[in-house]
Amino acid sequence: MAVDRETLRYLGWWGAFGVLMCLLPLVVGTGTLRILIFAHFLAMFAMSWDFLSGRTGYISFGHPFLIGIAGYTTAILSFRFGVPIYFSIPAAIVATIVGGTLFFLPALRIRGTYFALVTLAFMEILYQLTKVVAPKITGGTRGMSGLESIVSGAVNNYYLSFGLMFVIGVVLWLLIRTRLGVALSAIRMNEEAVRSTGHSTTKLKLFAFMVSAAVSGVGGAFYVHYIGSIAPRGMFEINFLFTILVAALLGGAETIIGPIMGAYFLTILLEYLRPVMPGMERYLLYGGIALVLYVVRPEGIYSLIADAGRKVQEWRR
Amino acid sequence: MTAAETGPLLEVRDLHMTFGGIRAVQGISFRVAEGETLGLIGPNGAGKTTVFNMIMAELKPTSGEIWFGGENVTRVPTHERVKRGIARTYQVPQPFAEMSVGSNIRVGMAPDNIWKLIGEGADPAAEAEIGRSVGFSDEQIDTLPSELAMGDLRRLEMARNVAVSPKLLLLDEVFAGLTLREIAQISELLVEKKRKDGLTYIIVSHDLRALAPLVDRVIVMSFGEIISEGTFDEVVRDDAVRDAYLGQ
Repeated sequence: MAVDRETLRYLGWWGAFGVLMCLLPLVVGTGTLRILIFAHFLAMFAMSWDFLSGRTGYISFGHPFLIGIAGYTTAILSFRFGVPIYFSIPAAIVATIVGGTLFFLPALRIRGTYFALVTLAFMEILYQLTKVVAPKITGGTRGMSGLESIVSGAVNNYYLSFGLMFVIGVVLWLLIRTRLGVALSAIRMNEEAVRSTGHSTTKLKLFAFMVSAAVSGVGGAFYVHYIGSIAPRGMFEINFLFTILVAALLGGAETIIGPIMGAYFLTILLEYLRPVMPGMERYLLYGGIALVLYVVRPEGIYSLIADAGRKVQEWRR
Repeated sequence: MTAAETGPLLEVRDLHMTFGGIRAVQGISFRVAEGETLGLIGPNGAGKTTVFNMIMAELKPTSGEIWFGGENVTRVPTHERVKRGIARTYQVPQPFAEMSVGSNIRVGMAPDNIWKLIGEGADPAAEAEIGRSVGFSDEQIDTLPSELAMGDLRRLEMARNVAVSPKLLLLDEVFAGLTLREIAQISELLVEKKRKDGLTYIIVSHDLRALAPLVDRVIVMSFGEIISEGTFDEVVRDDAVRDAYLGQ
């Protein structure tokens, strides 16, 4: 892969971000770290959504379906069958990729709103299945708790979750900077024209689905071992889905770094509103903030910061 | 050389296309020789674009066969037909709207292989070269389609098609919405590309004056059937053609 100067410059920013976040546990308390751990998982889910939906325009309302496959696979394997987590987690990721391929089948025929609704149905089906099919294994409506944790303590979990998010972020970001990223964006703009330039859009879409599923798989599997439990409510909930979507869109879809920013912003906002607004009304406020931002700046937080950076550069000249 | 000596580049055999109760194309057959320019004309709704859509596999014919380069491609999907050498432009230009001219060309040049897409970088110099070959200035390479005039949008489609190195180019209403100057420029470009790359064209156009100097032969369609075929002068003198255009 040819690395141009611009890519190197951005990689420098990624590096600075990485160093800064690694130093953070030295200055902030474990409470803040625990909040950030949630932000890291949310960022993984939002990037997964963005790589598929932000790029190709195939809007998924079913990402909790993918995350759920990962979570349940590793939970069942490790908790019910005593499979070591270093086997159950990779198995969960593979299962999610297989699930992502299932997810992909409707995309061969439908797009737009219909596709979004079908993916929503996938999520709902899995929600119902986990409740009624083999509750002895899935734990039914109560799910499973007391799952094995991978590392203990806020600091270790912080580094683990940040490391995962960071590596996924850089890999996805490098991917979208290649011609593959250009081709995937072209699908969103005009799929027929992509075919008529000699590309199998089926192959491109399948690849995007599999990558997206793999990322959801990593996030989902590590997430349930972090929180130590899994239950159908909470996992397959519309609020969970919207939080992922809002993080991606708020931060700036189609950018990878945008969903990361969105996830931090959203998690921190919700957490710091908690003392002031302990009830559900803080979701109302975050909905309001998201709405204002969409109207004022549909490209998201990332573009606000990028613009500010550009202005500072111009001013320095 | 004639089609009989070398075998036609494209041959459509008894194509039919039915949409519900509407028989849009009813048994069309024709051949196009390599290097030939065929005009495809007819009143609105005659089925010209439907024929293009079937040649590109954007529509599956109800019955009939399409042969390209001596191979039956009737069941070959669009992107594979493009790789074999068929490309098209659209009646309403279809650029990738949020991408610059250069990136539009980049999609055309990109290989149909995930690993090559990831592993091999783009070639901006080659993209600019293709852009220049259809008449874009170097500054225009970075502009967005929304900033381009109709003539430039048609040029952009040409560029994206040149990038896939076609043998046969289907041009749908290539002169529509253009000024006289733009028509002259596009015509010149078509002649130039044909001379350089040995392209074969099928041109759909309502602008017969622009079409006349370009075509070797013309097929006239009306209500899904071929009603006349011959040189440009022959078909315009044909009474059946006059009736179809003017109505009886």
